[in-house]
Amino acid sequence: MRLARLRIGRYSTIILFGLVIAFPMLYLLSGSLMSFSDIAQYPPRLFPTTPIWDNFVQAWNYLTPRTILNTFIFVFGVLFIQLAICLPAGFALSKIKFRGSSAVFALFLVPILMPTNLILIPTFVVTLQLGIIGTFLGLILPVAGQASVGVLLFRQFFATLPDGLIEAARIDGANWFQTFFRIALPLARPIIAAYSVVTFLTAWNLYIWPLLAAPGPDTRVLTLALAPLATTQFSNISPSVGFAAAVIAMVPVLVVFVVFQKWFTRGIAGTGLE
Amino acid sequence: MTVLETKRGAGAKRRHPRSSPRKKSKYRKADAASAWLLLTPALILFILFIIIPTVVGFGLSFYQWNFFDTPVFVGFVNFVKLATDSAAWGSLGVTLLFVLLGVVPTIAIGFMLAVLINANMPGVGILRVLYFVPVVLSVAVSAVLWAFIYDPRQGPIGALLRVLGLPPIDILNNETLALPALVIMMIWLALPIVIILYLAGLQRVPEDIYSAAALDGAGPWRTLWSITWPNVASTTFVVAILQIVNYVASSLDVSLIMTNGGPLGATTALSLYAYRQAFSNQDVGYASVLSVLQLVIIVAIIGLGRLVTRRFLR
Repeated sequence: MRLARLRIGRYSTIILFGLVIAFPMLYLLSGSLMSFSDIAQYPPRLFPTTPIWDNFVQAWNYLTPRTILNTFIFVFGVLFIQLAICLPAGFALSKIKFRGSSAVFALFLVPILMPTNLILIPTFVVTLQLGIIGTFLGLILPVAGQASVGVLLFRQFFATLPDGLIEAARIDGANWFQTFFRIALPLARPIIAAYSVVTFLTAWNLYIWPLLAAPGPDTRVLTLALAPLATTQFSNISPSVGFAAAVIAMVPVLVVFVVFQKWFTRGIAGTGLE
Repeated sequence: MTVLETKRGAGAKRRHPRSSPRKKSKYRKADAASAWLLLTPALILFILFIIIPTVVGFGLSFYQWNFFDTPVFVGFVNFVKLATDSAAWGSLGVTLLFVLLGVVPTIAIGFMLAVLINANMPGVGILRVLYFVPVVLSVAVSAVLWAFIYDPRQGPIGALLRVLGLPPIDILNNETLALPALVIMMIWLALPIVIILYLAGLQRVPEDIYSAAALDGAGPWRTLWSITWPNVASTTFVVAILQIVNYVASSLDVSLIMTNGGPLGATTALSLYAYRQAFSNQDVGYASVLSVLQLVIIVAIIGLGRLVTRRFLR
């Protein structure tokens, strides 16, 4: 009896705090469909009187399809390059014995906890010298170069594969590249999924680097279009339209999160150097 | 244990008969060539965009440069400038305030909530989504939302004050309130990741420790403080470092979007001050000094934190 009461107490606490945490986001969803008078009302309304879908039309036109396309190019560019460089590097560092292996690994470890904002200015300088500021290359490559976490994660994963498996392939005459592609890579699917979800999310939400590297209309990403709404929304655009724009920018990551939640939590736990 | 054993077993088998037992044959040239080929793409991008910028960042702090002309070596002039620049020290204070107000509450709240939802009860798995879901939000998206919450004319806080007959407060334009307001949003944004990390940590605490504690008659709070908390110390260490870094460096995005460093510099942390020196004043050398200073501060806070926890908590 006492146990049952305890359980109910715990359930209610979990739900209560969960709602407190999720509330601002749920309100964002609800507010994106409110009319101007709904959203300005006091006490605040939880739900719109009638859903105003036109908010989303206005928000879509404000954000522009081009910006949304740019964001996908940016995010998938970063994701694809990161996987293409980190997977083979992690494999080489865990399964191939060669002189310099530990030195290379140490090199990758150096900036593991260094925030990229600290090298923002010199990264801009390098990108500027390469002449790729204002292009997708300049937008994507420096972010893809943040390979520390990926290399470390994949190295850790490949190290758990039994050496016998790799040896068997090698004795059968497979070279290291074939061993990597045919044996190691298929087994790495779960860790690839976890890392991809986290990378997708991180890249999708980046703000400062896109602002510096490629703020022009042809390369502008969603966060750049959204940020001005946080300061000027109350003069030019109704807050509900701002909310709708925020929702549009959030939907792709939300979908990825809901579909891949299991991989996502694993990825975070993994990239947190656990 | 089993992993270790299989590794050792395979290691023993690895030397096939042709390879001589001498130490030199540990490495094979063909292996090295393949390894370097597999590493090359990662190394190129990593060296180009992480290692070189890191070195350049340190180097530029000894130069005077505006991005375009030839850099001029000036020795320690930029460091001397830092010593006499009161705005820089003001922004250092802002950085420390971000860390002070943000890190401990983020860890404490995140830990408590992780313990709360680390329950083996049906349905909790789904309820956890409520705790994780803000993780999908970018600073830009949440800024749109929280700027509304703090808005004196249309936001809920302003409306509440009006109903109570109190004068409106423009929170984000208030010198005292702007920074705590940003920190509250940052805590909210950081919680999901902290909770996920603690959940992973909690699941590694062996069950029998809890049963032993229960047998000894330890109550829930006592168990939480004396059993659970020390057993996730390694997680706390990782979370603390990540959060110190978060509040020192990521406050740049937040203040740039929400307050633009205002009012009167009240939310201009070192990160934003350095950003301004580089991209508004075109003083790349001085901005580099300020970035180096941030690195020093992060290392110092982590070192100090380790020292304090060693002294008093062990």
